[in-house]
Amino acid sequence: MVSIAYATRKITGLLVTIFLVLTFNFYLFRIVPGNPFALLFRGAGLSANAVRSLNAQFGLDQPLWIQYVVYLRNTLTGNLGLSFQTRTPVTDMILPALINTVILLSAASIISIILGILIGILTAWRRGSKIDVGASATTLVLYSMPTFWLGLVLLVMGVIYFKLPVAGMRSFSGVAPGTIGQLIDLGRHMILPLLTLVLGLVGQYVLVMKGALLDVFTEDFMVTAKAKGISNRKLLWDHGFRNAVLPMVALVALNLGLSIGGAVQTETVFSWPGMGLLIYQAILSRDYPVLQGSFLVVTVAVIIANFVADMLYPILDPRVSET
Amino acid sequence: MRKSLVLTALFLLTISVSALTPARVGAQATPVTFTVGWGAAPMDTLNPTAITLYDGGAYVIMHLIYDTLVRADVNGDPIPDLAQSWTYTNSTTVVFNLVHNATWHDGEPFTATDVVYTVNTYLAHPEFPIMRLYVQNVKSISAPDNYTVQINLNTPDATFVSELLPAMFIIPKHIWQNVSNFTSYANSNPIGTGPFKFTSWGGVNSYVQLAANTNYFLGAPHIDQLVIRYFTSYSAMALALQSGEIDYAGPLFPPALVPTLTSTSGIQVVTRPDQRYYYFCFNEYPNGTGNPTLRDVRVRIALSHAVNITELNQVVWNGTFATPQNTVIPLTFAKWVNPNIQAYDFNLTEAAQILDNAGYKVGSDGIRVSPSGVRLSFKIEVPSDYTEEYRAAQVIASWWKQIGVEAKPEITDTGTLGNEVAAWQHDTFIWVWSVGEVVGPDYFLSMFKSTEAQPNPNGGLSDSGFMNSTYDQLYTQQQETTNTTQRQQIIWQMQQILHDNAVYIPLYDPSAVQGYRSDKFTGIPGGSLPPLNQYAANNLFLSVTPISASATVQTSQPMSQSNSTVAPPSNSTAATSTGISSEALTAIAAVVIVIIAAALVVLSRRKKSGATKTQ
Repeated sequence: MVSIAYATRKITGLLVTIFLVLTFNFYLFRIVPGNPFALLFRGAGLSANAVRSLNAQFGLDQPLWIQYVVYLRNTLTGNLGLSFQTRTPVTDMILPALINTVILLSAASIISIILGILIGILTAWRRGSKIDVGASATTLVLYSMPTFWLGLVLLVMGVIYFKLPVAGMRSFSGVAPGTIGQLIDLGRHMILPLLTLVLGLVGQYVLVMKGALLDVFTEDFMVTAKAKGISNRKLLWDHGFRNAVLPMVALVALNLGLSIGGAVQTETVFSWPGMGLLIYQAILSRDYPVLQGSFLVVTVAVIIANFVADMLYPILDPRVSET
Repeated sequence: MRKSLVLTALFLLTISVSALTPARVGAQATPVTFTVGWGAAPMDTLNPTAITLYDGGAYVIMHLIYDTLVRADVNGDPIPDLAQSWTYTNSTTVVFNLVHNATWHDGEPFTATDVVYTVNTYLAHPEFPIMRLYVQNVKSISAPDNYTVQINLNTPDATFVSELLPAMFIIPKHIWQNVSNFTSYANSNPIGTGPFKFTSWGGVNSYVQLAANTNYFLGAPHIDQLVIRYFTSYSAMALALQSGEIDYAGPLFPPALVPTLTSTSGIQVVTRPDQRYYYFCFNEYPNGTGNPTLRDVRVRIALSHAVNITELNQVVWNGTFATPQNTVIPLTFAKWVNPNIQAYDFNLTEAAQILDNAGYKVGSDGIRVSPSGVRLSFKIEVPSDYTEEYRAAQVIASWWKQIGVEAKPEITDTGTLGNEVAAWQHDTFIWVWSVGEVVGPDYFLSMFKSTEAQPNPNGGLSDSGFMNSTYDQLYTQQQETTNTTQRQQIIWQMQQILHDNAVYIPLYDPSAVQGYRSDKFTGIPGGSLPPLNQYAANNLFLSVTPISASATVQTSQPMSQSNSTVAPPSNSTAATSTGISSEALTAIAAVVIVIIAAALVVLSRRKKSGATKTQ
């Protein structure tokens, strides 16, 4: 089990990291040149009157350190500010985008993790065989494909040959009534982005699983176990996989946390209104509060995911809490 | 174990196959939906008082939900909207007679009290970024009776009725009088008098859904539902148009995608002049930090002689999707464009001659030097949002080299360039003026006023630093001249001054390329002004009509077969399909079976090898 000292250490680390992230987040967007209203103003027809009132409304005319204090206070009370673009609360924009992203990316993550583990095990167990070479090569090729390109190719094929919808999360006509109809509609819209993400993500899980497992196979205790006559199945799962799973947990935790940031390229190609698209649009329109809020959400998610992984290590491997 | 897995697989297969059989429901009249794909800025707010961007997506939608007192026709002249007629009782007073049969979407009647309330609210709130500007010149408003309003202006104003009112939304008093903080009010169910009622909004980047207002006083739309879907990729939008998922695609298709559209039958491509123009700007601000030789008008004229606009148009726009521009007003404002202005003719010898005569002798490195020792070396900056102009900058640099002028093209981040311009640090740049909401020339002329070049905490509109008192006087004059012919002459004269001083090199006016499904909808107007929003006479959404009015299964079959077997065409709703195409289900079933088979294989292999090993 986890010792109190270990847990306290990790929690303190968590809080310190979050505070550092908040500060870095704030300055990062202030240091970047280009007043956002000057951009809205220039060539998009914003009047000088509007710029003045917006500057006042967002407190951009205050000195930097005052803005920082206000930012800290607001963030800790859950107020992420108002979007420059829509003047509505940032939380109202982030929440629906977050849900959409979680829907897509949790499905993609789960499928690619399971597939990655299975294929990784297969290629490690059958190392050197045609299956190994074939599977490893395929996943590597898919992993190294640019997501944007892969998405577009799948989009074209999917729309023309499979009559799948082109973009977005829902249709406005032709949807069968009721919840089942809506779920099916969502599913149809999800197939292509899901496929794009899974094909791209599977590669890293395969590689890590395979590498970790091969490492474990070379251990002495594996030879001992085999000599004792333990069945191959038990050898693989109870002795091999159990010990190889630690690096996988780290990778899974990190990726699940990062997936909150959405997959910008995939969401752009398929116009999936998630965090990735929100961040992309916010960058284009220099919408600092939305960017700040989104980055905060993503980093906090990664930190928490990491923390959970940290808590899991001692349970999975009792040797860890000694450090 | 293997047996049960195989059985599970078979079971799943059976379910998939049975789901493939589509259920057909009997024919019934189904509502017509017109789906528009929109690639420009998505709608960012439902609150008309909070709109900040002239070109933001909000304006397009607001014009469908709310009305204005007047609208503009294809020539930019005002035509009736909520005001059926109006008269000037003197040079600063206008009396409007309102329509009697307009109603708000919640059923309340529209009366003069709403107009009075709207104008007074806008007057009382200087923080409304855009709406406040339209009432700048209003002194007071009164309502002699329920359907008449009288507006008193401070000074005579030629732009008030024709250019400002078509963009000023009338809001309902009975809803807004209870609002405390206007600009942060969500207005999640906007009530207007317009041709469409609000149904739902999916958030900033997804879609807006509107329903037709059957009681619209100018006549109900011919469609029942309007959906505007925001796309981030024009390639995806082209696909969607081809597959029939959307019916109209725009507003600015890249010319490179046009062959994709024209090659599909049932798609019609429409090319319209757009209300924007690209231009080359010189920094002549006397207190700026750009190259000071640009303050010499002879240098600017010489450099203008060294730019071939027709060829640039060819290089960047293939010559087909843009028209060369000679003046600072977009060509869509036909009668305000001075037709007598010709671009400085492309003549490198003459350019070199002008520079020689002005005392800019060629130095030892081949670059000219001013009498005070400043080299004619300029940066040509291109904003990162318009990287296609970089080619134009490179071509310009190659021409200028031949007359002894050094030019360094550079792509700069748009925001940074905006800051540079506000601080007068630039030399030259290529950019675009695009203000879709503006109905007349006033805005485009205002940016050359001396006041716009004065230091201002947030920067004025001017990016050239041009300051000329004659021009300023003429500007005030044209604003107050209500006689159209006289005003036109003044405006033509102003353009001539700008040309004589070579303030900009106007480049080209690109077209807006749009496409739509001509096999499903008709009544799409042609014409030069943007038809997607402001102008009632040219309003796309009011005139579009479905081709097959009947929505029975039998007659819609031929159309649906051209797109897909099970997914219905977008102008019919629910009842006639399972909602998922058979091909997709086959794919899912195949994937599931493959996964199960793979698992089976892995498990059986392990068992087998386990068995061998123990022997």
